[in-house]
Amino acid sequence: MSLKDTAYRFKEFWNDFKRERSGLVGLGILGFCVLVVLFEPAFLPFKDVNGNWRSISYWEDNPRAAPPVWTNLFAKQKSATTVQYDEATVSEEFVTTERYPGGVKMKVYSFGYDYRYDLSPVDLIVRMTASGNLSADIDVVRPDGQTIYLGSFIESGMKDSPLRFATDTAGRNNVLSFIRERAGEFGINMSNTTGVRPTQLIFSQLEPTMLRSRTPLKGEYTVRVKVPAEIASAPGNEIADVMLVVSGRVSGLLGTDTAKRDLMSGIVAGLKWALLIGLITSVVSVLIGVMYGIISAYLGGFSDTAMSFVWEIFVSIPVLPVLIVMSAIFKPSIWIIIASLIVFSWVGPVKTVRSMALQIKEETYIEAAKALGAGKARIIFKHMAPLLLPYSFANMALAVPGTIVFEASLSLLGLGDPSIITWGQILHDAQSSGATLNGLWWWIVPPGLFIAIMGMTFAFLGFAMDKILHPKLRTR
Amino acid sequence: MDTILEVKNLRLYYHTSKGVVKALDNVSFNLKKGETLGLVGESGCGKTTTGVALLRMPSPPGRIEEGSQIVVDGRDIMPLSDKQIRKDVRWEEVAMVFQGAMNCLTPVYTIGKQMMETLQEHRDMDKVQAAELIKEYLNLVGMPPEVMNRYPHELSGGMKQRIVIATALFLKPKIVILDEPTTALDVIVQAQIINLLKKLKKTFDLSFIFITHDLALEAEVCDRICVMYAGKIAELGTNAQIYGKQGPMHPYTEKLLQATPLLKKKVDTLSFIPGAPPDLIDPPKGCRFNPRCHKVMDKCREEEPPLLEIEPGHMVACWRCVK
Amino acid sequence: MYKWYALKRILRGMFMFALLMFVFSLLFNQVNERTQRTQIFEQVKQESARLTNMRADQIEAWRNQRLDQLIKQYRLDRPMLERVMYRAINTVTFNFGQSTVIKSSKGEQQVLAILMEALPRTMLLFTTAIVFQLGIGIFLGMKKAQKPGGSLDRSTSFVTMIIYGMPTWWLGMMLILFFVYMLKLFPSGGLNSVPSPQGFMFILDRIWHMALPVMTLVILGFWGLSFVIRNIVLGVLQEDYIMSARARGIPENSVLFGHTMRTAAPPLVTISLLSLLASFSGAIIFEGIFSWPGLGNLYWVAVQQNDIPVLMGDLALTTGIYQAGLVILDLIYGFLDPRIKVGGKA
Repeated sequence: MSLKDTAYRFKEFWNDFKRERSGLVGLGILGFCVLVVLFEPAFLPFKDVNGNWRSISYWEDNPRAAPPVWTNLFAKQKSATTVQYDEATVSEEFVTTERYPGGVKMKVYSFGYDYRYDLSPVDLIVRMTASGNLSADIDVVRPDGQTIYLGSFIESGMKDSPLRFATDTAGRNNVLSFIRERAGEFGINMSNTTGVRPTQLIFSQLEPTMLRSRTPLKGEYTVRVKVPAEIASAPGNEIADVMLVVSGRVSGLLGTDTAKRDLMSGIVAGLKWALLIGLITSVVSVLIGVMYGIISAYLGGFSDTAMSFVWEIFVSIPVLPVLIVMSAIFKPSIWIIIASLIVFSWVGPVKTVRSMALQIKEETYIEAAKALGAGKARIIFKHMAPLLLPYSFANMALAVPGTIVFEASLSLLGLGDPSIITWGQILHDAQSSGATLNGLWWWIVPPGLFIAIMGMTFAFLGFAMDKILHPKLRTR
Repeated sequence: MDTILEVKNLRLYYHTSKGVVKALDNVSFNLKKGETLGLVGESGCGKTTTGVALLRMPSPPGRIEEGSQIVVDGRDIMPLSDKQIRKDVRWEEVAMVFQGAMNCLTPVYTIGKQMMETLQEHRDMDKVQAAELIKEYLNLVGMPPEVMNRYPHELSGGMKQRIVIATALFLKPKIVILDEPTTALDVIVQAQIINLLKKLKKTFDLSFIFITHDLALEAEVCDRICVMYAGKIAELGTNAQIYGKQGPMHPYTEKLLQATPLLKKKVDTLSFIPGAPPDLIDPPKGCRFNPRCHKVMDKCREEEPPLLEIEPGHMVACWRCVK
Repeated sequence: MYKWYALKRILRGMFMFALLMFVFSLLFNQVNERTQRTQIFEQVKQESARLTNMRADQIEAWRNQRLDQLIKQYRLDRPMLERVMYRAINTVTFNFGQSTVIKSSKGEQQVLAILMEALPRTMLLFTTAIVFQLGIGIFLGMKKAQKPGGSLDRSTSFVTMIIYGMPTWWLGMMLILFFVYMLKLFPSGGLNSVPSPQGFMFILDRIWHMALPVMTLVILGFWGLSFVIRNIVLGVLQEDYIMSARARGIPENSVLFGHTMRTAAPPLVTISLLSLLASFSGAIIFEGIFSWPGLGNLYWVAVQQNDIPVLMGDLALTTGIYQAGLVILDLIYGFLDPRIKVGGKA
């Protein structure tokens, strides 16, 4: 089997393969997936998802259990989306505030937010990194001219410290005071202040029933962070990376889960593991299985019987139950999982390969090779294996979906490797957080859907390959 | 002797995704009552296809094309309905002993069941009568009646061949097509089968079409010989005309005879026909044999030669033979 | 001839089962023993708590004596191999003992009773599903084989490829989301409603609860079956003896359903039985999704609750059924294929 032969065989195969439409579709999808894996950062909305899946602080600013943004297309009431503003407009003002009634020169960082939705964001979060001392006020200017004071940063002795202000928690009282002050003027019914979010009040019109039912106040909002100029320019004081995060009611391409994690990032991150697990397990286990079958067939007699017996034992062991108990003993790391999958998967192609090898064994050219003095290894590797290798490629492709589902099943039961993100893991979290019971469909549908799509891709590939590579052997 | 089979312009094409394979292209010949017509040629020339066509059973995607006529005992079977063909023609008028009797019997039914099934499908008999008839025919081919309880895999090749022959005959069909009935058997069994066939033909006054690639066998068994090449008839005549002193007229037949080594003559090099049979999707222009013919003329490459009678009972399709 | 074959096969199956039980016993030795020791400590603690009229050091002595006694009784002081053998033999003879936590619906703690309660539920679900899958699969497979490459053949093969990698449990989750929470047509799980109705309504109620899981299994299951059956039937249809039968004037129905099906029967039955056996293995998650209290769910509960006797028993039962299934399969195959039944010189 020289290189030229292999190249020719491959060219022949490719010509036949080109005609299988489904095979090409499969190849296309696979190619796209490989691209996504190679250029993962480009496809990740949250670039550092891989280390931070279990970190709470990384996802802090996301809304909890928020549907995907495109659901707005189908909703009568449009929900605010999650947006992040990194660039503040810096200006200087001379203002009078509560704390500085006499007037003071202020450095103002402002963010414009165009609110055109019916359902308000869940939170307004202001972040910055600061050193030294800081005293800053945060407020929001509404389209109707009203200004709501949200809260302040008052810190000292900082060294590149990250600061975070969340309106939903820290600004609640201030917003309620704002409403209370105007209750008389607008006839607002203040009887029940529980169960309403500050942001809901910020983005609604001032009207009597606003604590219970609201009309959105659409328009241009400005969120301002105001630092007295003296403090801002004092030596040793520094303010950087001022940003505003509008935590929307819908978020991301695939929404968020109850731990506020962006599911799109999770799915994209899971792709490489799905491919890795699927391909490694399939390739290795099919190779082992094929070689096992060939050797068993070639050796014949007692060795064959013994090998078949060992095979029977492996086939009779129920995989999932055993793996479940095993994982109670061994710590589940992804490599152990792959290893155990291989240990149970190699049995698949053995019987078919063995019967094919038996047929080949009877061929005269094998007899001829033996007569020429070829040793067992040579015959097996140079004469028999190359014939069966193409068939095993098809088998490898067809084995991948099964392995991906298997790993997903393990993860679903909570037995997966917690240090990596897999689609099965996401589903496990969904199940244990009651996603099905609470109708969080965007958490359940995508992971399984992508597992199915992976399965479909490799099915297309594998069946197309099988159609081309298999029959040649059978019509001998 | 009257004609029991007339085949006129038989065309059988396979409509595949790669193109139309013209397996049989305008084949015409006759079979007279009580004679044995030998059908010879290389592998793939259309011999078996002809046999299958006579049963009107082309394997899909094959189709017998419009304009073909197969007249069995005066009746053209082409326009008949499927039901009529199945009930009246197949096995009643035309029976076939297939190539490779090894695989001709369903492995899960006993011999008796299969023969009974065939018999009862065509004749109104009860089990007892049918069994009697079957035993009679089994005896005729030299098989004990116990074989009815056996499964095909329990029998040897020769035994299966005999059973298949018995099954082909017990409805006393007018035409029996034998497709290489002895190819897979050893010489001794072959001789036995051939003798059996000769005996049966005489006893029942049958008409045979004997398909083979073994010219020696053909010479022994048949009365007339029909040489096929690439889906067409090259030459058709009596054994005396083809094998006789004058020799064959068609260059292909000539080469075929030359290629059979004689036992008594010593040869240094074996004679063979260079090249390979043509692609039937895109056969050569003109005479299909022209690329390999040692007597080729320019006309052969342009026009297809028609099958002409050059002397009574002797047809040839060759421009060399047209004067 | 056949009787010999049957006997040999049954013996081999039993041997295989015993061997597997030994292997499991070996594998789970650690887990098993840890739990047993804990159980023994607990038991002794409980017993000693009930002791009165004894001084502290007397209680201490009594405890140690009782510990030794129990450890001897459970053979934990014997060499490992002996312990493994003992447990294996127990399992093979279906002597599973008592569970630690799990109780059957009648409150029994005999592992065998618990298992026997769960077994019929699993069988009910999966056998019903397989019957439907086979029905549709065989019908579809034969239709596909009659016109290979035709539009039905190609479109169904296409769908088969699309759903090839879809996990049954995920489809189950989808269907629950759709039919239970959106449409509110079916119950979310369980065997019956609580409180369960009586008489005929009980049966209807059970069917209503079975509908969604069976639907899930069938929707995904019949495609693959029909594909395999199509190939088997097609393979037979291309054989010479089928053409020969047609040439003999045998009507097409007899050819198809007699000669073809009868010849295809051995591999067909093999596929069907193997599918049934294979479906059991996926039961752990699947039954969990639908809260169906069968063997699969039981296994998971046993793992969660660390109830080792139930776990081992479940494993033994599942493996036993699988082995028995394989034996039955070979026996049926041998019976259906005269080449094995009658043997002889092939």
